[in-house]
Amino acid sequence: MRGRRQGRAAVRGVVLLLAVAGAGACGAVQERRDAAEAEATRFVLDREAGRHALLCAALAPGTRDELEETAKSGCREAIRQAIEEDDLPPAGAVRAVDVWGDRARVVLEGDTLFLSQFPGGWKVTAAGCEPRRDQPYRCGIKGG
Amino acid sequence: MTSAGRAGRFLRENSLGLAFLAGFLLTLAGQLLAGRAEMNNDLVAAGLPAVGLLAYASSSDFAVDVTENWQSEYLQFFLYIFGTVWLLQRGSPESKELGRAGTESDHDQRTGAHAREDSPRWASARGWRGLVFSRSLGLVMGGIFVLSWLAQSITGTAAYNEERLRDLDGPVGWSGYVTSADFWSRTLQNWQSELLAVASMAVLSIYLRQRGSPESKPVGAPHTATGVEG
Repeated sequence: MRGRRQGRAAVRGVVLLLAVAGAGACGAVQERRDAAEAEATRFVLDREAGRHALLCAALAPGTRDELEETAKSGCREAIRQAIEEDDLPPAGAVRAVDVWGDRARVVLEGDTLFLSQFPGGWKVTAAGCEPRRDQPYRCGIKGG
Repeated sequence: MTSAGRAGRFLRENSLGLAFLAGFLLTLAGQLLAGRAEMNNDLVAAGLPAVGLLAYASSSDFAVDVTENWQSEYLQFFLYIFGTVWLLQRGSPESKELGRAGTESDHDQRTGAHAREDSPRWASARGWRGLVFSRSLGLVMGGIFVLSWLAQSITGTAAYNEERLRDLDGPVGWSGYVTSADFWSRTLQNWQSELLAVASMAVLSIYLRQRGSPESKPVGAPHTATGVEG
């Protein structure tokens, strides 16, 4: 009897532990999703307000390097050019957020952004992205 | 007996399970280190930050690599345990004697009225208890296979989607992943090796010997002897 009681207590303990771990994992995922969405929203607002320096700061290092190299200019000028040439279109409101591990996709009304988790938070790895049938997105700004 | 003597005896008498458990933990740690290094090579090449050991250990990338191997190993044992009830191999110590295919009689299996004093309690039980206990080894192996294959499909979906987002592609759902080439390539490459290993063991043990191993026939046993273990 004592062994059976201990067995039941152990099962209850394991179930409780799994429930706590599951709730913690769900909370962490929601937190990451919120953070990615907040970063994307900031990016969109900075684009609308023409805050080019902040847009540059929001880009992942590899994406920023590629942008500067392609435009053969500094980041702010390259961003201005990208907006002018419609490589970075007006984005509008957030429609969907997908977070898998350290990567995220934020689908907006007029654009899709891809982000990656860096030590300082989420950074934009690609923007101005259009979906293509059976192929990856075509992006106006992306890493090399 | 002293406590050191008792510990030594425990280790000797359980050395098979303990040695393989220790080997499992060491190789899992090795996989963790090698897997993290490989992942970081890819991340750095893509201009993304490398991950720490703890982050890699809790990643879907590590989990799918672990579970895809687990499921295939448990599938192998599950098939072997159930398959050897009915399938025979002339001359192999892995097979029962020819003519004994099937679940055998209660007398042979010491079940029901033929259970002995020292038999497990459920060996003599009638109804579902007897049925379940008589197949418990295969059922548990099969259960672990199903759970680890399910875990592979879930962690695989996460790892696959993380990779797709890195490659600027959209994520897929679980049902999309389990019908994807990635899922079946991971699954089948493990299954084929497990099935080959079982077939090799069943056939090679007809002609080859390993002195002292219960997995082999005695060295002097004839090639034609079936169901004889050393």
